[in-house]
Amino acid sequence: MPKILLVEDNEMNRDMLSRRLQRRGYSVISAHDGEQGHLLACAEMPDLILMDISLPLMNGWEVTRLLKSSESTRHIPIIALTAHALVTDRDKAFEAGCDDYDTKPIEFGRLSDKIENLLVAKRVP
Amino acid sequence: MIFQNLSIKRKLTLITMLTSSAALVLSALSFLIYDLVSFRHLLIQDLMTQAEIIGYNSAGAMEFKDVPAATATLSALTAKEDVVAAGLYGRDSKMFAHYSRNNNVLPLLLPTHSQDRGHRFESGYLQVFHDVTLNGERLGTLFLQSDMRQWSERAKRYAGILFIFVLISGLFAFLVSSRLQRLISRPILHLEDTMRMVSANRNYEVRATKSYGDEIGRLIDGFNTMLSEIQQRDTALRGANVELKSRTGELEKEILYRKQTQEELLKAKHTAEEASRAKSTFLANMSHELRTPLNAIIGYSEMLEEETRESGKSDSVQDLRKIQSAGKHLLSLINDVLDLSKIEAGKMGLHLENFEVAVLIDEMTNTLQPAATKNGNTIHVHVADSIGTMHADVTKVRQILFNLLSNACKFTDHGTISVDVDQCKNGGRDWVQFRVSDTGIGITAKQKENLFHEFSQADASIARKYGGTGLGLAITYRFVQLMKGRISVESEPGKGATFTVQLPAQVAAETPESARSTGSTDVAPLSEESKNRKDTILVIDDDASVRDLMSRFLSKLGFHVVAAANGEEGVRLARQVRPLVITLDVVMPECDGWTVLKKLKGDSALAEIPVIMVTIVDNEAMGVDLGASNYLIKPVDRDRLAVLIEKHRTGRPATITGAPATPFIASGRKGQKESELRSSRKVDHAQDLVSRR
Repeated sequence: MPKILLVEDNEMNRDMLSRRLQRRGYSVISAHDGEQGHLLACAEMPDLILMDISLPLMNGWEVTRLLKSSESTRHIPIIALTAHALVTDRDKAFEAGCDDYDTKPIEFGRLSDKIENLLVAKRVP
Repeated sequence: MIFQNLSIKRKLTLITMLTSSAALVLSALSFLIYDLVSFRHLLIQDLMTQAEIIGYNSAGAMEFKDVPAATATLSALTAKEDVVAAGLYGRDSKMFAHYSRNNNVLPLLLPTHSQDRGHRFESGYLQVFHDVTLNGERLGTLFLQSDMRQWSERAKRYAGILFIFVLISGLFAFLVSSRLQRLISRPILHLEDTMRMVSANRNYEVRATKSYGDEIGRLIDGFNTMLSEIQQRDTALRGANVELKSRTGELEKEILYRKQTQEELLKAKHTAEEASRAKSTFLANMSHELRTPLNAIIGYSEMLEEETRESGKSDSVQDLRKIQSAGKHLLSLINDVLDLSKIEAGKMGLHLENFEVAVLIDEMTNTLQPAATKNGNTIHVHVADSIGTMHADVTKVRQILFNLLSNACKFTDHGTISVDVDQCKNGGRDWVQFRVSDTGIGITAKQKENLFHEFSQADASIARKYGGTGLGLAITYRFVQLMKGRISVESEPGKGATFTVQLPAQVAAETPESARSTGSTDVAPLSEESKNRKDTILVIDDDASVRDLMSRFLSKLGFHVVAAANGEEGVRLARQVRPLVITLDVVMPECDGWTVLKKLKGDSALAEIPVIMVTIVDNEAMGVDLGASNYLIKPVDRDRLAVLIEKHRTGRPATITGAPATPFIASGRKGQKESELRSSRKVDHAQDLVSRR
């Protein structure tokens, strides 16, 4: 059962997304701010991280940069979730080291495709 | 030298005096000399006669050696005052008898150089020698010595008289000349006074009075003429000066006014920009805030739907779907608003990638199939085999097609929707052409005017019947613009509409900023068509939105529009296309409208082209002075602009071939038919307009 870390500050979104992911058969752990997200990622070593960008304490870009710069967590794929569908955000996401990018509101089918793709890619090598 | 510096008055007096005195003295002197000479001669004669008489009288006394008798004879000379001494000398030259006055001593011997007869002048004395003879025998010599007292007294007297005479006559000459010199000196002095007055007071109204008709009179005439000449020039100069001052004042006022206007404009611009930014930020924030709860609504309802379906409660599934679809609709509206605000804020960039056109079309028709079947429509798709891939922002192409297709589905009931995708070449570039036609309600020409504007649907009743915000086509239009494409529409009300979008097969990467700028600086070179057309309007304005609005408006009126974002560009384009009319803004950076107007009117090839000023600067006089045909103040009264332009079109007969020069302003109000007739022509213009951005 793949383990997914969901870093999201909005309680409703966090609840809904984690429940829907669980329904798809993922094990979900969630964090409500950037710092907790970083701690959980290091402690739990999830198979994939869904990272909201506008987070309290430490924003999604910073957490991503931290995780991608550490040897132990570099391999964990990260999907950035941004509310602002701007080209600059998209570029920023890849620049920070995100493996993929999706915009809110979440279209669940599209997001689960992206998750599956990354998990498969991770398993293959 | 002193003389030379004397006043003319003195000089004249002096000259007269000197001249007359010199003449007087000379004539008196010559008279005096003549008189003295002849008087002396007389004296000599007299003394000689005296000597003869005395010699005769004393001859006897000498013969007889009678000294007393001889002395007595000589004493007779007492009566003669000027004879100072007399002496009788014997043959041996020794003194025989003598006479003297005032103890004058006579020489004992006869003075040497004596002559028998005659006279001589010796040390101031006249000396006369006379032979004393008796019966022809010489007895001795009589010697007389005169001190010429009479003569010298006479000379003295004469000199005195002469001196007094000269003095008196000199005085007289002075009096006369000092009177008469005024004849000459007075006009000259008067002239001098006048001159001094003129030069001291700079008063050129003074005139010298002419007294006589001589040279000085003529000099005064000349001087007066010169003065009046100067006065005239002075007056003219003063007039010019006053005018210059008032002009300068006006100019200063004008400059001040313009500066104020400029400042106000800048302020207004900043305020507007600030407001625009605030609006964009507000919209972005608002959309974000709205989307977060929507996210939850859609997400939970999707989740519930899945759960409900699994638990077999199928009637709730329908309701949950309705919540979802309403939520998604709301989301799409919010997305549209956000998109527009991003476009307006210049933050909408292009994310270019290669994609298969056929795949995209397939995807789109699948997505819209439900919407089509809902109204009983069928979708026909034709994609050219050779279409392959294109390089563009796939999200935006998708959205463009989605908007066009969903509109077609929405406004067509039990009809056909065709999607044609083809390639074409234009201006040396490859284009991909998407054509979406329907058999729906169509669009009237009037509705077409605002078709691509934000928040404008063809009709308010349509909004009620079909829903929607009216943002779809506005966004479509902006996206097409962003990718430098063209969009046009052809329609006949009641029979359907055809939207044609042409996008470059290879869209050029571009910064958001330049995507916003709709200036013609970065457009492709003008087509031959532009250069040859006779109904081209050149719009010169630095404000992109003004250019856009004018272009759209004028295109709708059936004109071909070329736009320039700055003055230089405007003049260049004017030379190239020789437009029918030019509309010109005043407040522009670098080269302002007045300068452009001067350049246009200064170029013989362009001077004939009517220029309509379209500006916020209220200075019609300036515009007319510089040669503008008309002056409109922003915000522009479109009807008036249309009438003015039309006047210029009809004012130049035979400029348009084929098209009747009807007052098109009425076209919106006249029957539908005429509008429709023209509509196909307008399509071309709209196309051109979009392609030019």
